[in-house]
Amino acid sequence: MASVDPAEKRRLFERLSSVREIVFGVQDGVLTTAGVLCGLSGAVSQHSQVALAALASTAAGALSMAAGAYLGARAETEVLHAELKVVRTDAASRPYTVQEGLLDELCKEGLSREAAYRVVKMLSTSPKALASTAEAKMFGLGGAMLGNPALDGVVMGIAFLVGALVPLLPYMLITVPRYDLGGALAATALTLFGVGYFEGWLAHRVDRWRSGMRFLAIAMSAAAAGYMIGLAISPLGATAG
Amino acid sequence: MLKPGDPAPPFDLECALDGRIARSSLAKISSELVLIFFYPRDFSFICPTEVTGFNKALKDFTAEETAIVGVSIDNVDSHLRWARELGGIAYPLLADPDGSLARAYGVFDDNEKVALRATFILDRKRKVAFSSSCPLNVGRSVVETLRIVRALRTGRLCPADWKPGVEFGPTDRDF
Repeated sequence: MASVDPAEKRRLFERLSSVREIVFGVQDGVLTTAGVLCGLSGAVSQHSQVALAALASTAAGALSMAAGAYLGARAETEVLHAELKVVRTDAASRPYTVQEGLLDELCKEGLSREAAYRVVKMLSTSPKALASTAEAKMFGLGGAMLGNPALDGVVMGIAFLVGALVPLLPYMLITVPRYDLGGALAATALTLFGVGYFEGWLAHRVDRWRSGMRFLAIAMSAAAAGYMIGLAISPLGATAG
Repeated sequence: MLKPGDPAPPFDLECALDGRIARSSLAKISSELVLIFFYPRDFSFICPTEVTGFNKALKDFTAEETAIVGVSIDNVDSHLRWARELGGIAYPLLADPDGSLARAYGVFDDNEKVALRATFILDRKRKVAFSSSCPLNVGRSVVETLRIVRALRTGRLCPADWKPGVEFGPTDRDF
C-alpha cells in the first residue's frame, strides 16, 4: 500500500496556496496585455507605438499586481494572526472552554462522547497541541493558511509578467500588420486554454478540456470587448490628433 | 426552576454507586438534608471538577447529615465508566436519560438537551430549602455549597458570608 508522507503532503498544500497567485497573475497578464494590444491596434496604426504602450502597461500591471497581492496577503495574514492569538490566549486562560468546544466538534464529526473526551484529554497534555487542534476544528483556522505576503507579491508579479509576455512577444516579433495581432491572439488563446487545463488537472477534474475551454471563452470575450472599445474610441484619437 | 419552599419531586432511578449499578430513591434517603446537583454531561471537562469536588467533600457533607446525589442525562453505563475514569465516586450518580427528573425540577435546557448546572438542597420534609443554577460553562463552588448546608442546618439567621464561628444576625432571636 502506498504510504502518504504527511510532511510532503503539507508542503504540497503550501505550494498549492501559490496556485491562486500563479493562475490569477498569468491569466491577468495575458488578458490585460492582449486586451491592450487589441484595443490599441484598433485605435493606433503604428506597430511600434502599440508595442511600446503594451510594454509600459505590462510593467505597470506587474508592479500593481505584485503590490496588490502583497498588501492583500499581508492584511489577511494580520487578521488571521490576530484571530489565532485570541484562540491561543483563550486556550491558555480558559482551557475548559476550549476543551468543551473541541469535544463538541469531535462529537459532531462522529466520535462517541467518551472517545472524544479521551482524545481531548490526551491533546490537553500539550497546550500547543490543544490550541492548534482547537484552531482547526472549532474555528477553521490553520497554520497552513498563513501565507507569505512577500512571496505572494513576487509570485504574482512574475506570473503577471510571464502572462503578459505571451501575447507581447509574438506581437513584437511579427511585424506584418494583422499577423502581429493574430499571432498574439493565437498565443493568448493557447496559453489561456493551457492555464484552464492546468487548473483542471490540479483540481483532479476529469473534464480538463472543458476547464480549458471555459478559461478560453471568458478570456477571448474580454479581448473581443477590448478590441470593440478600441474601435469605438479610435475616432476620438483622430479628432485629438 | 423550583424555588425554596416548593415540594421536591420524588425520584427512583438507576444509578452508578461504588462501581456498580444500583437504584436510588428519594423516599429511601434518610439523612436530614439532601443535596441534588444536576450537571450537563459525563465525559466533559467542567463537570468532573464538580463531581470529584463533591466526592472529596463527601465526608464533610455526611458530617452535616447531608446526602449527595448527582444527576445527568447520561445512562447508567456511562455513569459507571465515568465514575471509574474519575477514580471512583462514593455517592450515587443518577441516570436521567430522558431528562424527566431535570424537567420536574425545571432545569432542563431544551436547546442543549442537557440539565442545567443546578443545585438543590432539600430539607427534612423534602421541600426545597435552597436552589441555584450556573451557566453551563461555569462550575459551581463546593465550598460555598457546604457553607450553605451548614447555614441551613443552624435554622438561624445567617448574615452574608456566614460560616461556623461567625455570629448570627442581630435580629436572629426574632427569626
